[in-house]
Amino acid sequence: MFERFTQEARDVVVGAQAEARALRHRRIGTEHLLLAMLAPGTTAARVLTRHGVGHDAVVAAVRVHSGPDELDAGALSSLGIDLDAVRGRVEEAFGPGALDAPQAGRPGGHIPFTPRAKKVLELALREAIALKSRTITDGHIALGLIREGEGLAMKVLHDRGVDVPALRDDLRLALNP
Amino acid sequence: MADTAQVATAAGSKDPTVGLAAVRSLRLLVERLEALQVANARDLGWTWEQIAQHLGVSRQAVHKKHASGRRPLRRRD
Repeated sequence: MFERFTQEARDVVVGAQAEARALRHRRIGTEHLLLAMLAPGTTAARVLTRHGVGHDAVVAAVRVHSGPDELDAGALSSLGIDLDAVRGRVEEAFGPGALDAPQAGRPGGHIPFTPRAKKVLELALREAIALKSRTITDGHIALGLIREGEGLAMKVLHDRGVDVPALRDDLRLALNP
Repeated sequence: MADTAQVATAAGSKDPTVGLAAVRSLRLLVERLEALQVANARDLGWTWEQIAQHLGVSRQAVHKKHASGRRPLRRRD
């Protein structure tokens, strides 16, 4: 299937991994695919931007929903725990970054896709077939996200008041002008 | 860093948003510290049995939780 992916679509798949790593998440979900699609200049990004979906806003929404997989200094201070002090002690003994998330934060470490994100990529193929496209583009992945319909990416879109049927039509138009 | 008044407020707070966020972060902190300490103990040649005793859990529990992710890391040493 992947041999039919265009460079833009491949960039989305690779970018999703980078997005997950940046957020220190341990799985690549639909939200990371969405974030990777919002890289500037892609077809999907142009359409999504027209519908008011931007990278920074999605990052903020994802952080709220997936919860921080990072230590929250504010929350800990509410218990009287000084995170900076703890970090200082730990780094003194174990070196800089010792308290950071293991594995997911490790450069080059493999982050697996969630079953739902895999499903989205399969549905991208079906969208491409339905639109009689020989290749799978980032726009087809966006359509795959919408067809899958659940997952955090869609929740973020719904929460932002995006008109999903209109977004789908615009994506199809952009793909088959 | 957190001043006394702030701590008193949060500790006495019945707002679940505040309380649960604190518990979540504390759990994460414990997980990170445990991973570090277990890795360090293994590097120093401690057995899983010894580590488990000090953590107050079963050997199986500590092994299951910490053994898998460590092998690739150890190989790089």
